[in-house]
Amino acid sequence: MDTLPSPFSGNDAGQLSGPRSEPLTAGQLRELFSLMVAVRHLDSSAIAWQRQGIIPGYAPELGQEAAQVGSGYAVDTTRDFVFPTYREMGVARAMGVDMVAYMSTHKATWHGGLYDPLQSRLAPIQAVVGGSVLHAVGWAHGQTLDQKDGVAMTYFGDGASSQGDIHEAMNFAAVMKAPVVFFVQNNGWAISVPTERQVAGGSVAARAAGYGMPALRIDGNDVVAVVEATRRAFAHARAGNGPVLIEAMTYRRGPHSTSDDPGRYRSLNEERDDAGEDPLERFRRRLLADGVADEAFFAEALAAAKAEEEHIRAGIQALGSRPGSEMFDLVFQETTLALQAQAANWREESEHV
Amino acid sequence: MAEITFPLPDLGEGLIEATVLEWLVSPGDQVERNQPLVEVETTKSAVELPSPQAGKVVRIHGGPGDKINVGEPLIVFEVPDNTAGIVGTVPKEEAPKRRVRLSAVLDED
Amino acid sequence: MSNAILESGAAMADGTPRRGVEQLSMQQALNLALDEVLAANPKALVFGEDCGRLGGVFRVTDGLQAKYGTGRVFDTPLAESGILGMSVGLAMAGFHSIPEVQFDGFAYPAINQIVCQIARMNYRSRGTMPMPITLRVPSFGGIRAPEHHGESLEALFAHVPGLKVVSPSNPHEAYHLLKYAAERPDPVVFMEPKSRYWQKGEVDFDSADPAGSPAGGSPAGAKVMRAGRHLTLVAWGAMVARCLQVAELAAEDGIDIEVLDLRWLKPIDEAALAASVRKTRRAVVVHEAPLTSGLGAEVAQLITQACFDTLKAPVERVTGFDVPYPSGDLEDEYIPNIDRILFGIQRVLEYKRG
Repeated sequence: MDTLPSPFSGNDAGQLSGPRSEPLTAGQLRELFSLMVAVRHLDSSAIAWQRQGIIPGYAPELGQEAAQVGSGYAVDTTRDFVFPTYREMGVARAMGVDMVAYMSTHKATWHGGLYDPLQSRLAPIQAVVGGSVLHAVGWAHGQTLDQKDGVAMTYFGDGASSQGDIHEAMNFAAVMKAPVVFFVQNNGWAISVPTERQVAGGSVAARAAGYGMPALRIDGNDVVAVVEATRRAFAHARAGNGPVLIEAMTYRRGPHSTSDDPGRYRSLNEERDDAGEDPLERFRRRLLADGVADEAFFAEALAAAKAEEEHIRAGIQALGSRPGSEMFDLVFQETTLALQAQAANWREESEHV
Repeated sequence: MAEITFPLPDLGEGLIEATVLEWLVSPGDQVERNQPLVEVETTKSAVELPSPQAGKVVRIHGGPGDKINVGEPLIVFEVPDNTAGIVGTVPKEEAPKRRVRLSAVLDED
Repeated sequence: MSNAILESGAAMADGTPRRGVEQLSMQQALNLALDEVLAANPKALVFGEDCGRLGGVFRVTDGLQAKYGTGRVFDTPLAESGILGMSVGLAMAGFHSIPEVQFDGFAYPAINQIVCQIARMNYRSRGTMPMPITLRVPSFGGIRAPEHHGESLEALFAHVPGLKVVSPSNPHEAYHLLKYAAERPDPVVFMEPKSRYWQKGEVDFDSADPAGSPAGGSPAGAKVMRAGRHLTLVAWGAMVARCLQVAELAAEDGIDIEVLDLRWLKPIDEAALAASVRKTRRAVVVHEAPLTSGLGAEVAQLITQACFDTLKAPVERVTGFDVPYPSGDLEDEYIPNIDRILFGIQRVLEYKRG
C-alpha cells in the first residue's frame, strides 16, 4: 500500500486486522478511470454552468477525484451507508447516485439534494462543517445493536477536524467499537486557512492514536491506494474491530466555491508547488505504462463523460422550482394546525410557485 | 462592473520584455483561474501564462509578434463590482411590485 | 494579486474617525467602523474563520490584518465554539473581542458558549468579570444561500438573559451601531443583514442620527425611518428597507405609514414603540423569522400594554413561516413580501371592534 511517510501510518496500519482485499482487476482499474474522468468533467462543467447562470453556486472538488472516487468505489451499497459533506460529488458519482438529483442542491432546488438518501445509501448533503460525523457513529452503532454488518463511512476535511463534534464522534465510535470509517480528505485548505494554521501537529491521523483507533495516512491522489485503504478499513470495521481513520492527503486545486478568489490567499506558484501531480494524469500514465488501457480507451472515457455531462446539464436546466407547498408539507410527519393555517394564508396571499 | 488589468509579469530573472506568440483566449471569453491565456516567448523560452483569476476577458494587448514590456498591460478582465460572499448571490434591487391595494375609511378621531 | 486586495477593499481610515458624509455599502461601513474601533481601543481584537488574510467571506474585515497585524486580527481554526469560548477568556484577560461567526447557522455550534458562558459570566462573577464581546453574525436570508447560511436567530438570542441584540438596517446604521456596540461593557450580538451588505447609502459620520430625528441622536434605541399618521410598521434588519417600500406604495392609496426601525432587539425601546403607536393607533410588526415565539409576539405585547386603550385593532404580525429557511426561489415564498405586508396592513385598517 502506498502510504505517505508518517510516524503513524506504519504502526497503526499494522493494527488493521483481516486479509488484504484482492488486487483490482484491469476492468476495475478502467472503471475507476472512467469514473474519475466523468467526475472531472462534470466538476469543471459545473463551474461553467455557474458562469452561464444555470446554477447559482458550486463547491468544486478539482484535484480530489482520486480520494473521492476511490473511497466511494469501495462502498457496498447493499449494506453500507455514507455521510457526505457538501463537496462529495465524486463520492456520489462513484456510488451511482442520480446526478441530476445530486446536483439539484447546487441549483438551490432543495438544500439536501433531491436524491433518495435511503435508497442511494448517501445521507442528504450536509452544509454544516463536521455536522454529520456523529450521525455516522449513531448509524453504525445501530448496526451493532441490530447485529447487522453494515459500515458507516463519514467524510470530513482538515478544517472540520477542528470542530469539537469530531472529537466526540471519534471517542464515541472507539468507546462503542462502532463500525465507522472516518474518511478525512486533507485538501490543504479550509477556505483561506491552510492546514498548518488549522491542524496542530499537522496530522488528523495522528489523533487516532489517542482513541486507540488504527489510522492510515495515505496518498489521496493515488486512486488505487485509496481503494485499497478504504477496503481494508471497511473489512476491519465490518469484522467487529471498531472504527478506522483514513487521512487521504490531497489538494483543493480550485476555489472553495465559485464565489471564492484564491488569489487573495495563495499564489499560482504555491498552487503548482503544493498540489503535486494531477491525480487523473498520474493514473492515466500508470494505466498506459501497465498496458491496462490505451489512448482509444481514454478518448472513449472522455466522450462518455461529455455525453453524461450533457445529459445532467439538460436535467438540471429542466428542473423547475419546487412547489411552495413543500415548505409546509415537509416540516413534520404529523403537521400542526398552526402550520396548516400558515400554509392557507400563504396560498391566499402570496403563492408564486 | 469593474475592470482589473493584469500586467505582463517578470517571467525570468531580469527579463524586461516578451513577445506574444499566440493568444489562447479572446475578448468576451469567460476564463478560470490557472487557465492558459497566452503563449509568449522570452529570450529564455516560450511559456504559457496562466490566468491569475476568474473573470471575463475585456481586452487583450498585442498580437502575435508584438513585444510587450514587463509591467505593461497584457490583459484586462471584467469583474462584478459587488462580489457575492463565499456563497449565495447579490440580491437585485428591483422596483417594488404589488398586487394588493389598500382601502380604508380613516376616521381621523 | 496584492493590487486586487487594495482595489476591492473598503475605504481605509487612518484611525481617526471620519467626518462628513460618504456613500458606502454596508460592508464598507462596517469595515470602516471596525477600523476605527481597532485604532481607538488597543485592547480590541477581531478574529474568526477567514477574517484575517481573506478579509472575511463578506470582506467586512478586509485589510484589517494588514493594518493591525496578526496579533489583533487573525484567523482561527474552524470551530465556532472555540471562537466564542476563547472570547470569554480574552474578556477575563482584559480584551474586547469582536469575533465573527461566519454565517448565522454556525452560531448554533457555539450556542453553549454563548448562552451558558458569555451571557452569564458577569452574573456568575458578581460583576467582577464583565464580558465586553461584540459578536458579529451575518444574518437573515435573501441571498439564495445554501442551508444554514440564512437564519433569523434574534428571538433565540433575545431570550437569553445577559445578551443584548442589535441589527442595522442600512450603511449609516451599520457604522454607528457597530462602533457603539463595540464600546459597550456587555456582550452584544450584532446581526448584519447579509442581503443588504452591498446596497450603498449615505453615511453621516458626524451624527448617529441626523438633526431633527425623533430618536434624539443616540444609537441606543429605536429610530423612526419615515414618519406617518395612520399605521406603524415595526421592523429591523433587511425588513426595514422593504417596509419603507411598502410605505411608499401605501401612500399611493392614501395611507400614511410610519416605519419604526427597532434597531435594538434587546433591550427593546418601549418608549419609542409607545410614542409611535399612540400616534398612529395601528401597528404591524414584520420579521423574517418564523411566526411562533418570534420577536413579533414580544413587540405586539409591548404595544398592547402601552397602547391598549387607543389601539384601533390588534397588532398584526407578518413574518416568515414555521418552516426552515428554504432553498433558492422558495426564499421568495418564505420571506415577507410586499403583498403579504400590504395584506397585514389591510387587515388592521378594516378591523371593526365588537
